[in-house]
Amino acid sequence: MTTWTFILKNALRNPRRSVLTVSSVAVSAALLTSMMTLQRELTVPPESEGASLRIIARNKVSLVQPLPARQLAEIERIPGIVAVTPFTYFGGQYNDEEFTSFAQFAVEPRRFRSLLVEGRVSGGDYDAWEKDRTSCMVGRDTMKRYGLKVGDRMKFRGTFYPCDLDLRIAAVFEGTVDDRGVFFHHKLLDELTGDLGTVGTWYLRVESAEKVPGVIAAIDGRFANTAAEVRAESERAFQMGFVGMLGNVAALIRTVNGVIVFTLALVSASTMSMTIRERFREMAVLKALGYKRRDLLGFILAEGFGLSALGGAVGIGGAWAAWTLLDIQRLTGGIFIVFEVTPRIMATAGVVAALLGIVASLGPAISVGRMSVVSGLKTLD
Amino acid sequence: MGTGGEAWGWLGLAGGVAAAFGLMSWLARLAGLPIQYNLRNVVVRWRSSVATVLGIAAVVAVFVALRAMARGIEASSASTGDPDNLLVVRKGSQAESGSLVTREQFRIIESFEGLARNAAGRPVISAEVVAIISSARSQGPGEANALVRGVTASGMELRPQVRLVEGRWFEPGRREVVVARSLSRRFRDFGMGGEVKAGRARLRVVGHFDGGGSAFDSEAWMDADEARAVFDREPYSSLLMRPTDPAAAKVLAARIEGDRRFSLRAENEVEYYSKQTMTAKPIKYIAAVLGVAMSVGAVFAAMNTMYASVAARTREIGTLRVLGYSRRAVVACFMVEGACLSAAGGLLGCGLARFTNGLATGTLDFQSFAETVFQFRVTPDLMGLGLAFAVAIGLAGSLLPALRAARTPVISALKSA
Amino acid sequence: MNTPPPPTSTKKDPIVRVRSLSKVYRQGDIDVTALNAVSVDIQPGEFVALMGPSGSGKSTLLHIVAGIDRPTSGEVEVQGINVGNLDESDLAEWRNQYVGFVFQSFNLIPVLTAAENVELPLMLTRLGRAQRREQVRAALELVGLGDRMHHRPDQLSGGQQQRVAIARALVTDPVLVVADEPTGNLDAKSATDVLGILASLARDAGKTVIMVTHDPKAAAYGTRSLHLEKGEIVP
Ligand SMILES: Nc1ncnc2c1ncn2[C@@H]1O[C@H](COP(=O)(O)OP(=O)(O)O)[C@@H](O)[C@H]1O
Ligand SMILES: [Mg+2]
Repeated sequence: MTTWTFILKNALRNPRRSVLTVSSVAVSAALLTSMMTLQRELTVPPESEGASLRIIARNKVSLVQPLPARQLAEIERIPGIVAVTPFTYFGGQYNDEEFTSFAQFAVEPRRFRSLLVEGRVSGGDYDAWEKDRTSCMVGRDTMKRYGLKVGDRMKFRGTFYPCDLDLRIAAVFEGTVDDRGVFFHHKLLDELTGDLGTVGTWYLRVESAEKVPGVIAAIDGRFANTAAEVRAESERAFQMGFVGMLGNVAALIRTVNGVIVFTLALVSASTMSMTIRERFREMAVLKALGYKRRDLLGFILAEGFGLSALGGAVGIGGAWAAWTLLDIQRLTGGIFIVFEVTPRIMATAGVVAALLGIVASLGPAISVGRMSVVSGLKTLD
Repeated sequence: MGTGGEAWGWLGLAGGVAAAFGLMSWLARLAGLPIQYNLRNVVVRWRSSVATVLGIAAVVAVFVALRAMARGIEASSASTGDPDNLLVVRKGSQAESGSLVTREQFRIIESFEGLARNAAGRPVISAEVVAIISSARSQGPGEANALVRGVTASGMELRPQVRLVEGRWFEPGRREVVVARSLSRRFRDFGMGGEVKAGRARLRVVGHFDGGGSAFDSEAWMDADEARAVFDREPYSSLLMRPTDPAAAKVLAARIEGDRRFSLRAENEVEYYSKQTMTAKPIKYIAAVLGVAMSVGAVFAAMNTMYASVAARTREIGTLRVLGYSRRAVVACFMVEGACLSAAGGLLGCGLARFTNGLATGTLDFQSFAETVFQFRVTPDLMGLGLAFAVAIGLAGSLLPALRAARTPVISALKSA
Repeated sequence: MNTPPPPTSTKKDPIVRVRSLSKVYRQGDIDVTALNAVSVDIQPGEFVALMGPSGSGKSTLLHIVAGIDRPTSGEVEVQGINVGNLDESDLAEWRNQYVGFVFQSFNLIPVLTAAENVELPLMLTRLGRAQRREQVRAALELVGLGDRMHHRPDQLSGGQQQRVAIARALVTDPVLVVADEPTGNLDAKSATDVLGILASLARDAGKTVIMVTHDPKAAAYGTRSLHLEKGEIVP
């Protein structure tokens, strides 16, 4: 026999209880992992190599407020810009779906090409899209989700714009952080709306990351005190702006996480003290045989740590497997795209679970340490 | 929300709790043991009892609070509008901010028959402009979107639930804005006298109104024509009107929707808003998922406690069986104990969640694309749901241990130490 | 270590020397005197039966001598070591090396086999695995349970369990074996076996055995009887 055999035998002494304890820790750890992933999904937009080179310029009033199309010529004159395209959110309803989770944007394909930094065309042909005014380029995820192929048509009902779209799929792209979007010709939108002379936003690519701040300042300055003032932001800052708009959601999730950790602590603490209190007498016998306080402390901590670490491993592993293997996009109707359980999240949840095991065993360990052999022997006698 | 309805709800909740307690006493009677026996057992094992109660309380509190949040969002939509009003928006638009009604359409519809007239003899109709401005939050960095509604004079008349509580209404032709008081707390510049930037334009806050818990509590109002100028918009977003009577409303709606020049949709204002609850959906979804997952953990914890209770009382159970108590009685006895624990947890959880009641918060509304403010609403029916949920957890957690107790053979029960 | 006063005339040096040992329990305002200035010497190889009515302080004396309880005043020396001077941790080590315990209710660890239970005290020593196994086998064979090594306590009779407990007490080869009513929970046959083993430990292995018992027949196995009454040794 080794010390570990002894600890293991103790941990498995009441197998049903051990299973229940491990399971409850596992459920809580899985929840904690998932909630942290949710929080990350909502508050940390996916990063991409191209994002550091791209700028989004919107109307200073709000994102919804359009910009005059004539600004294009002036923006193009700003040095340091590789390309700029109108970028207008169409907000259509696909095939009368109640909620369409992928966005459609009107762009100028010729100008848009160099903005697709990390993306590549994996189906159809970019040139074909550029040539056909009524065609579109669709993200691979959307193609897959609806079982579409190049040449199929996609119909959208305009909820923001008073027009509907009927687009032929000419190209498929992938490799961006969000391979869901549908891009179509801004010219088509202009035609259908009777040429409003406006665009939603401007989307730019800058020569190098160092030039981004300068270009942003130049754009903001160029349109200051005009009828349509502009707010230019790096793509990253733009995304973070969305996070800010969600308001107290992050705080809410943090609160829920706190409650989960609290519950987890409670459950494991109660189980551990139940487990140890039943063994007070045995602990006293061990003391009589010459085991020291720290030996017993070690046994108890090892058992508590072991059970909660096992539970944590099962729960975190389960959550990781579930969120990695399941099609999160399909499951949530496209609300969440990445839902990546990062090593950092898993490590945090693991540390929480393991620490809780230790904290939970501290109480019983202390009372065992305080207990005198004689009084311990008398329990249940 | 009628407070009368809420009073009935509380009465119903009290009745439900009484009924549940009656059921428990009946179960205890079935066991043939006074309920005090169960209660004392719960108290004696106070450590694990407290842990179980707190665990269940946490689950119930999270569940009820999240549902209360969704309920708050739904409530603000549900309590918006006047049943006598007709709202006209563009066909296919999902929110007023995505709707378009041209000035010409407005002029034509304004002249339709069936519209109520005010004291001055003018038809009661308001052509409105809905725009979004990005403005600095009052707390923390960053900006959020706020919905600005341009209304004509009839706009206030059509919405009796909106009351001015501070300052005055805007004057037509001036760049003035009156902000919902609850929204004003969430933006830096929305206080009385504040200057709200809309691009180059500056809007002065001259008053605060109270929307009575409706969706208007998330809006800022200004003169419609000023709004068209500030936001550089030719058309309006929507029309709100009051037909003379319900029959006239039907005719009017049919006429507007039937007119091929328009492509407009006319809907009862109350019905229109009651459908604007998409933002509540993901919250309800998360509440359900969290509720189920956390309750699984709580069931495991309750099972642990109950199994330990059964194991520690093997001798006692044997004695009861020797005294003539049936297996069924033993099962009932342990189920009652589980139910007591979980009911206590449920009550505590509901009590904790109740603290969030009335808590004002805000988030991005997916449909209007602007900040929506709402209050957590912990209503009696939600608390009843939370309690039922708790008792279900308790019963699920104690069933297997209770069955195990019932299987304890009489003899071995007496022998075991 | 402070040298105790020279002992009263005895042939050999006593292995256990108890000097004016008192134990007082405070219960609220009342003092309960469990031991009142007890002095006694025990020679190596003695098998002492400690007798007396219930509540007379037998267990208390045994516990203090064995180092699992502390006196209110007075001293205990075992093989020249003043037990009272040892701190918690040294005392634990001392118990492991010098004392073997046998309890009335066996107190075996239910999840461990007989051999593993016996091995428990050895886990604290520096002995290697093979050596431990050898000593465990020897101890179990000595109590006649060489064929029950891998049974768990619930697969053994009461008498067998108590013999495992004795093996556990012996396995570290202590100088002192203490037993608190070791036959209290046993039938007559098992009790005879257990008493026989304890007696042979003193007689053949030279261990010093102190046994608390109510039973005069059990006491008859001892080489000497001590009588306690109200915390004092009576002749
Ligand atoms: N922990 C304690 N607290 C108070 N009194 C105690 C305690 N332990 C023992 N006593 C008292 O000390 C006396 C001696 O007890 P004990 O040595 O166990 O007697 P014996 O073993 O001879 O039956 C008894 O009167 C008992 O009530
Ligand atoms: Mg005694």
